[in-house]
Amino acid sequence: MRPAGASPGHPEGRDRNLDGLLAQVARGDENAFAILYDQLAGPVYGLIRRVVRDPAQSEEVAQEVLLEVWRTAARFDPAKGSAATWAMTIAHRRAVDRVRSATAAAEREKRTSVLLPPADDVADAVESSLERERVRRCLDGLTDLQRESITLAYYGGYSYREVAELLGITLGTIKTRIRDGLIRLRDCMGVT
Amino acid sequence: MMRLFGPDLHVLAGVYALDGIDDDAERSRFEHHLRRCQQCADEVREMSATATRLGFAATQPPPPPMRERVLAAAGRTRQLPPVVDHARPTGEPRQRRAGSRGRQGRPVPRLAWGVVAASLVVIVVLTTVLLRTQSELNQSRAHQVAITRVLGAPDARAVTERTSLGGTATVVYSHSRHSLILTSAHLPPPPNGKVYELWLLGPPRVRAAGLLPATAQGHTSPVLVKGFVPGDQLGMTVEPAGGTSRPTTTPILVLPLRV
Repeated sequence: MRPAGASPGHPEGRDRNLDGLLAQVARGDENAFAILYDQLAGPVYGLIRRVVRDPAQSEEVAQEVLLEVWRTAARFDPAKGSAATWAMTIAHRRAVDRVRSATAAAEREKRTSVLLPPADDVADAVESSLERERVRRCLDGLTDLQRESITLAYYGGYSYREVAELLGITLGTIKTRIRDGLIRLRDCMGVT
Repeated sequence: MMRLFGPDLHVLAGVYALDGIDDDAERSRFEHHLRRCQQCADEVREMSATATRLGFAATQPPPPPMRERVLAAAGRTRQLPPVVDHARPTGEPRQRRAGSRGRQGRPVPRLAWGVVAASLVVIVVLTTVLLRTQSELNQSRAHQVAITRVLGAPDARAVTERTSLGGTATVVYSHSRHSLILTSAHLPPPPNGKVYELWLLGPPRVRAAGLLPATAQGHTSPVLVKGFVPGDQLGMTVEPAGGTSRPTTTPILVLPLRV
């Protein structure tokens, strides 16, 4: 699936590579978009699957996101972050929009909604990679509360109010724990 | 408006970077703050990059047929032009703005002021229709915040179109907010037992987008439609009261939501 050029173990090299590809895509280069697809489709789909869970809906959202990457490539501003972050931010937001509107619809129909914690079955099925190991190691370095809050918010797509409710702690504590945890992850992963 | 944030506003950077703020008003206030707080913007940028690593760690092989579908769709989808700052003298680089997220402000092109003017006309119509009863007012407060976000979006566009039954529909839409507002003027009342229903007509599928409220003094109060995606068109049909899940009649209006 992943072409030789993509190296999941070296995010900095990957980021530069994607930045360059996105610049070509912005000029309408469909071949560059095919290469970009091969590098981004797995992360985009995997993240959306993690949040949305339903395979058919995840595929639909992933398609919309990847097409939006094509359509809005010229609006990408490298001063604001890497192409990878830009694309994954769109993917996460779309996934969250999908589960939140689904939740709202379910509430309108007075169906019981059960909040499920994110399962590890998906993660277990993921091919092992250097980056995944590094992320796991960094997550292990967090306090339980930091790790749970970040996992529920990011992979679970829950708002911080929902996370506070699920974990039974105050909103203020959640905001602080998530921020502190992300700072620790950032330092652990060497994000600049 | 009440000031909800003290000096601790920056603690929201983490939940913001994880899309963890589900209250539109709260998120708008934080984004407003981000534009003036470089330190907060830098922090959000780093945290978004950190979240990206979490995202990559969840990588899964996508269904193989998706590749061909996406590449084919790209081949028939026009790309957006870059944002051009008309106020900037040639050769001068675009001003770096605080923040790292698509939701934040971009330099507003001069053309956008035409949209703002059109939007103001709509606001006047909207508020006169909106300010009817106190309970409606309370109910519509959240609605108004959402509407303001669309009207204030840097990429907001306004378009007015005649329907095939007469009267006009005015739509202000923002691709960055994935939302649109529709009002109508002089639309004939629907036949007895019927309503006007809105649709998002997308290449992936057609989605019901709400019913048009009853007419007051020739106008309908604004309808907010969220969640449109690139390629969607807005449609309106006449349907049985209560609406349907699929359009059953020929649309009286089809509006492309051009970028």
